[in-house]
Parts: sequence; structure tokens; C-alpha cells
Amino acid sequence: MTEASDPVLLKHRELERIAMAALHAARLFLECGARVKVVHEGTELIVRGLGAECVGLRTGHASNEITVSHGVNTITRMMSVGPHGVNHRLDHALRAFCVRISRGGMSADAVEAELGRLARETPRYSPATVAVAVGIACAAFGRLLGIDWAAFGPVLLAGCVGQYVRHHLRVRGLNYYVIGAVIAFLASGLGGFGSQLLGSKTVPLAMMASILLLVPGVPATNAQTDIMDGYPAMGSARAVTVLMVMIFATVGVWIAEVLLGVG
Amino acid sequence: MDAGLLHLLHQALFGAIAAAGFGVLFNIGPKTLVWAMAAGALALGVRTLGLQAGWSLEAASFAAAIAASCAVRFVRIWLGAASNAVALAGCIPMVPGAFMSQAILGLFAVTAPHPENEVATIVLAMEYMLRVIFTLGAIGAGLAIPTHLLRNKDF
Repeated sequence: MTEASDPVLLKHRELERIAMAALHAARLFLECGARVKVVHEGTELIVRGLGAECVGLRTGHASNEITVSHGVNTITRMMSVGPHGVNHRLDHALRAFCVRISRGGMSADAVEAELGRLARETPRYSPATVAVAVGIACAAFGRLLGIDWAAFGPVLLAGCVGQYVRHHLRVRGLNYYVIGAVIAFLASGLGGFGSQLLGSKTVPLAMMASILLLVPGVPATNAQTDIMDGYPAMGSARAVTVLMVMIFATVGVWIAEVLLGVG
Repeated sequence: MDAGLLHLLHQALFGAIAAAGFGVLFNIGPKTLVWAMAAGALALGVRTLGLQAGWSLEAASFAAAIAASCAVRFVRIWLGAASNAVALAGCIPMVPGAFMSQAILGLFAVTAPHPENEVATIVLAMEYMLRVIFTLGAIGAGLAIPTHLLRNKDF
């Protein structure tokens, strides 16, 4: 019997394409900071829209596994997940696309192609714009913490520089936690030194405010939501990641404090 | 102008700016950023009012997160499925990242070869750490409870 005339083999190949398309979407969802529940709902819409049944999906921090079935045929596949970030516009473009797929009429290959296009072409702010916005956010956050006006400018500048350098270190593929320590040192050092120079009375607070770009606020709240939604393994993984980032960032601040004689 | 009102306006303004700034980092679209700013102003405004009323930081943060999460339900017609993200962006300026760093720095200080006032240092570090845990928990619960109670079919 040839491969083309074997209906079981053919069905498995179709299921494999469906499973891989669903895993591709699940990977993109996780990489743009979606909650596990959203990942599961999105993949379920894709699998059903492509004509199969989703028997189960396991979402981990570094990989996803899915089992899809159709009639008596079942297939399980796994795909690794890249670094987790936050990308709201891609997240929502993916959700809208999942709803479109659920209406039927698309092939797995077309879904894969569109997922690739969305990942490439969903608009993003330029690195310079993000750096300026983050600098302003850190300075505003600093005001909420109680920094004085003398420290406002240095914190703004430190946040801008920190975010710009962080972007380039990420592009070069440096370890996520090492980036945290390096940027914390750079940003808190700049913010602290500038604040000292301008006669600020809140230098330690300015140093803290300068590293607030590193605080993983979205993963921290997602950790709790995932646990509430019934995914404690992923929630715990996210919480540990948040703790690790903060430990590395604090090491950077500590070195900067020692060098500046603050603390 | 009354000092309390001035402080409230100050916190709301900088809460809005911080939410928008972090919104850009999270790649929130320009139109949705305006809503994120409003959510930030509301959250920080409610938290400030709570603190002025003598509430703990945790209770005030919980009330602020509930307020932001409920408020986005009223504008869901314009925000659609983005409403949860908007509420979250609004609450980001309340995440106690600085407390967490101070807690870890305090723990570093305790492990120094000859720590000074180690009991006071460890108590302060623990206080900061507990504050981080409870405040994060309060924000997460405040955001999640209305979402679960007022379910909708958007995806």
C-alpha cells in the first residue's frame, strides 16, 4: 500500500499539521505573555476550527505538548517555547486569528503561514521610542515612590539608557538574568550618580526607581492568575522567574551602591 | 488647594504616566494606551485615597485593583478583549518592585561578615518581603475576582 492510499497514515499527517499549528500558536501566546488559560482556549479554537478534537494540552514554561484526535486517530506532539516577554498587540492579533480559525474553512498550512506573518508583521514601537517611554515611566514611578525633583531627570535618563541597552543585549541573546544584573548596575549607577550630582536628598530611592523597568510585573500577576485558573506548575515557574530576576537585579543595585557609597 | 487633594492628583497623574510608559514597553497600541493611562490614574487615585483613609498598603492596593478591573468592564464595548490587559497595565505602577529589592538588600546585609543591628535589619527585610508578597497577592486577587465574577464570552 502506498502512503497516499493509506487513510490512517494520511489522517495522522493531517493531525500532525493541526497539532503543530496549534503548538505554534501556543508558543507565540506564551512568548507574548498570555495566561495559560488564554493559551488553552486559543489552541482549542484552532484545533476545533481545523476539524480535529483537542484531547489535552500541557503548558510548561519551556515547552508545550498537545494531543489531538479525530475519530480513532490520535497524535501527540511537543514544541519548545522561547523567551517569555510581553507583547499585547501580538497577543490580541493572535486571539482574533484564533476566533477566525474557529469559524472553519482554513487549512493547517494557511494557519501556520498566517501565524508566521502575524509574528513578523504585528506593529511594534521602535527601540528608541520604548526606551524614552520606559525612562519616563521609571521617573513617574520614582515620583510615586517619593523621589525628589532633583532625582527625576537622572532617573528618566537612567531608565532610557537601561532599556536601550537591555534591548540590544536581548538581541545578542545574552542570558535573561545576567541582563537583569547588568542593567540594574548600569541604570541604578547612572540614576544614583546623577542624583548625587544634582544634590538630591533621595539618592537610594532614585537608584531603586531606575531599575523598575526590570520588575516583571506582568509575570508576577500572571503567576497568581495561573495558579487561580488551575495551573500551579506554570504559576510557580513564573513566580520563581520573578524572584530570580529580582535577585539578579538587586545584585546589580548592590554593586552600584557600594561603588557610589550609598546605602 | 488642599494638600491631600494635591497629593491625590499628583499620584493619579504619575500613575497614569507610569502606566502609559510601561504600556509602550508591553506594546499596547496607541489607542489602548489612553485607556491604560486612565486605568493607572484610577488605580493610583483609589490607592492614595485608601492610604489617606488609614488603610494598609495591601488593602488600598486591593481596592485599587478591584476598581480598575471593574471600571474596564464598563468600557468593554470599546476595549473588547483588551480590557483585562488595560486593567493590568493600570495596576503595574502599584507593583512593589522597590520593596522587593530593599528586602533582598536587607537579607544581603544580614549575611555580611559582621552585620550591624542584624535583628533590626532582618525584621525590616522580612517586613518588606511580606509587604511584597501581600501587595502582589492583593493586586492579583483584585484584578482576578471581577474577571471571574463578571465573565464574558470575548476571547
